Amino acid sequence: MDIRLLKPSDIPLIQHANLENLPENYFLKYYLYHALSWPQLSYVAVDVSRPKKTPYDYPKIVGYVLAKMEEEPTDGVQHGHITSLSVMRTHRRLGIAEKLMRQSQLAMVETFGAHYVSLHVRVSNQAAIHLYRDTLGFKTEKTETKYYADGEDAYCMKLDLSSIREQVREAAAAENGEAEAKPEASADVDEGEAVGDVGRDPAKKKESERSGDKVKVKVGRGLGVGELVEKDESKH
Amino acid sequence: MPQPLSTREANLFRTVIRHYEDKQYKRGLKAAEQILRKNPKHADTMSMKALILNAQGKTEEAFALAKEALTMDMKSHICWHVYGILYRTNKNFDEAIKAYKFALKLEPDSQQIQRDLAILQIQMRDYQGYVQSRVVMLKARPHLRQNWTALAIAYHLEGNLQQAESILTTYEKSVTAAPAKTDFENSEAVLYKNSIIAEQGDIERALEHLETDAKNSLDRLAVMELRAQYLAQLGRKEEAAKAYRALIERNSEHPGYYKSLTDVLGIREDDESALKAIYEDYAAKFPRCDAARRLPLDFLTGDDFRKAAKSYLTLMFDKGVPSTFANLKHLYTDESKKAALPAVAEEYLAEHKSAAGKEQANGDSSKGEGAALFFLAQHYNYYMSRDLSKATEFVDRAIELDSKNVDFQMTKARIYKHQGDLAKASVAMDHARSLDTRDRYINSKAAKYQLRNEENEKALATMGLFTRAETVGGPLADLLDMQCIWFLTEDGEAWQRRGNYGLALKRYHTIFNIFDIWQEDQFDFHSFSLRKGQIRAYIDMVRWEDKLREHPFYFRAALDAVKLYLTMHDKPQGSNGVNGTDGKSANGEDAAEKKKAAKKAKKEAQKAEREAAEKAAKQDPNKASQKGKEEDTKKKDDDPNGLKLAATADPLGDALKFLWPLLQFSPKNIEGQIAGFEVFIRRKKYLLALRCLLAAQAIDKEDARVKEQATRLKETVRPILGSMDPKVKEIIESSL
Repeated sequence: MDIRLLKPSDIPLIQHANLENLPENYFLKYYLYHALSWPQLSYVAVDVSRPKKTPYDYPKIVGYVLAKMEEEPTDGVQHGHITSLSVMRTHRRLGIAEKLMRQSQLAMVETFGAHYVSLHVRVSNQAAIHLYRDTLGFKTEKTETKYYADGEDAYCMKLDLSSIREQVREAAAAENGEAEAKPEASADVDEGEAVGDVGRDPAKKKESERSGDKVKVKVGRGLGVGELVEKDESKH
Repeated sequence: MPQPLSTREANLFRTVIRHYEDKQYKRGLKAAEQILRKNPKHADTMSMKALILNAQGKTEEAFALAKEALTMDMKSHICWHVYGILYRTNKNFDEAIKAYKFALKLEPDSQQIQRDLAILQIQMRDYQGYVQSRVVMLKARPHLRQNWTALAIAYHLEGNLQQAESILTTYEKSVTAAPAKTDFENSEAVLYKNSIIAEQGDIERALEHLETDAKNSLDRLAVMELRAQYLAQLGRKEEAAKAYRALIERNSEHPGYYKSLTDVLGIREDDESALKAIYEDYAAKFPRCDAARRLPLDFLTGDDFRKAAKSYLTLMFDKGVPSTFANLKHLYTDESKKAALPAVAEEYLAEHKSAAGKEQANGDSSKGEGAALFFLAQHYNYYMSRDLSKATEFVDRAIELDSKNVDFQMTKARIYKHQGDLAKASVAMDHARSLDTRDRYINSKAAKYQLRNEENEKALATMGLFTRAETVGGPLADLLDMQCIWFLTEDGEAWQRRGNYGLALKRYHTIFNIFDIWQEDQFDFHSFSLRKGQIRAYIDMVRWEDKLREHPFYFRAALDAVKLYLTMHDKPQGSNGVNGTDGKSANGEDAAEKKKAAKKAKKEAQKAEREAAEKAAKQDPNKASQKGKEEDTKKKDDDPNGLKLAATADPLGDALKFLWPLLQFSPKNIEGQIAGFEVFIRRKKYLLALRCLLAAQAIDKEDARVKEQATRLKETVRPILGSMDPKVKEIIESSL
């Protein structure tokens, strides 16, 4: 097992892992959009112990975190967002999800000056909620009713990143000499419209509501943030 | 000749453009028709109308009109530009480039046309053309940093690294004020430049640049990694070691850092105790770190290995980590380790037995004894250490502990599979699924096992438990939309085994088309990435896209397709009755007619499918409600069961579409070369067959199939050598 930054060439197998594990799925292009907009933020866990069968084998992805910066934060505060996080059932209990999240959070602060990170999680997904709340320290901000395509509610959770910001500041100060007080990091991020449909989450239900169309149609799955147990959408 | 418009109509023409840009197609059409009523030969308006028709999905009508407009006014850059856009949206990029070039000749100052052309050039990897375009664009707007960066990218991809670097430097020098530390575009451009310096092989200078210009880059990880790497390359070992230690502190689960650290420390690979000391330090420092505990198992031997394995397995079993076996099975290439690991697991089991009772108090069967039994079951199920009756014994003991454990039941199913009993395996995996119906992973496995057992319909229903309920067309449509390659491949293979060649081909073609979509997905990023400023990631993407089809996902489906077409060629009757008519109508005219018809039908079916897939891929959630109304524009798949595909009169010709990318992108995979030989020898393309044979021999000349092919080629060509072109004859004779 190897935890490292996501590369574009990983994407087919990340998409594969997502399709195998979670009900919230995306086209390849949506992964590319993340990889090319915020390449510092998404990480993968790779099974390095598989023997290669051909010279063209790609490393098997056993877990990933797909993360982004909110492009137009409604509260005007730079913050990150976890689009999707998943670890294969076969690779649980090694703390992979937590380790992926921590790498991503650090980069959110360093590279983009994030103040906090947000995510959505199914209210029934106990294992994921445990990870976010108890292990990582997320707080439940609010409940979004019927966030998911199957009608399930989501908790909107947030983690304040100020302790990481403090660490990063100290590290920078130590490196550059105390004299040079570092200004607050608040990177200027391109706020331009995405080209074509690159910038939209095809699985995100909210978009259809925001567009102001009169007829509300359930377009898709909500952002899938569920690491362990996912609600069975269509039974009953 | 261009027709001048009255002021009123000229205004109207502008609204046409605006409506088009706002995607108000109906209004746009109305306005265009209003102009055309008074000026029926106004070519620019006709072109705009064509553009709108094209956006509405009326491709043929649009092309006809655009052509008519061009004949009216060959000198209109608008007409040529529209013509180019039509080709572009219909993915004929070569023709689009030609049209844009005409448009640009007529209107050399149009930035829009120039930009559109540039994007197509890079999409088609016309680097020289792209450099030219970017030079023009830079001259037009030199104040924009992205125009400089773009030109550097053009030179870089063309292979002209020095020029790329010098363009970036020129821009830097032109800026008088120091960029802010938080200027992301600057931070990334500097690191991009650094990568170009390093790519030229000048590591000394790359390090210097990194430590000065890129010192405060916002991508901390990149700076740390590059610095460590450069220091190591330059032999500055002490500093490199320090840099790698800092990286391990940051991410202790990246094996590469440990390897680099021990390398720069000069520790020999067989110096076990020195290596061990390094890892032990980190294991002590990071109590929750897996890598520092697991990696020593790679290099330790003998007693030390056994001790380390014991403590690692104990930790894993106590925690109940299900991936323990998966994370260690690579050690099995070492016979002594392969023997030691199960022995250690048995030992653990025995110790647990003697301390019986209290372990299970926590009620978690996946920990302790259960974990060890699970490990041993997997051990005996693994191909390098397989003993299926023992595997069954251990998995049954685990199940006895807890019959509701999904992992145990899943392994049971896998053992059935290896015993060759696919029906039992399918039932067992579905049973495992029923124990946790909220987990898609086990659901996917159940579907996969059903497909292996040729239960396609059941598998689709299983998948349907997790696909999006609202998708029109049911689970399959959702899986297509979401590009679920694994399911399409397994489904196709299962249909093929069942003799339904139509559906099998349908799936393989769908996968082929998904790869087309993935290739086109990069299109928008040629401009998007310049605005985002993430240049290194963009370069990575371009290089990956260049070899997209080497992916095993493509290889497997394409090889399946080629093999199926070979079968269809060899047994033209087909076993599913779909193309059963082909056999009896062997008489000339009739057969030729049929061939023509089949070809046409196939072309149409492919086109429809491609378009449907593209539409699906580009579906915009914002247009959800609108889409409901315009759903009729979405073309229906007129060959959902692949009947037209299976009715082909030229299976070998159809196979080529799949075969060429196999040979181009995965030339070192022997299976592709062997399949290529089979296609070419049947097509009597002996030189091509020979090329595949030689490539296969270079990979593995002992392969029995390759030997047989060599003999077959010799025997096939011997009687006809005399009638061959002397050059061909010479090549064949000298190679065989």
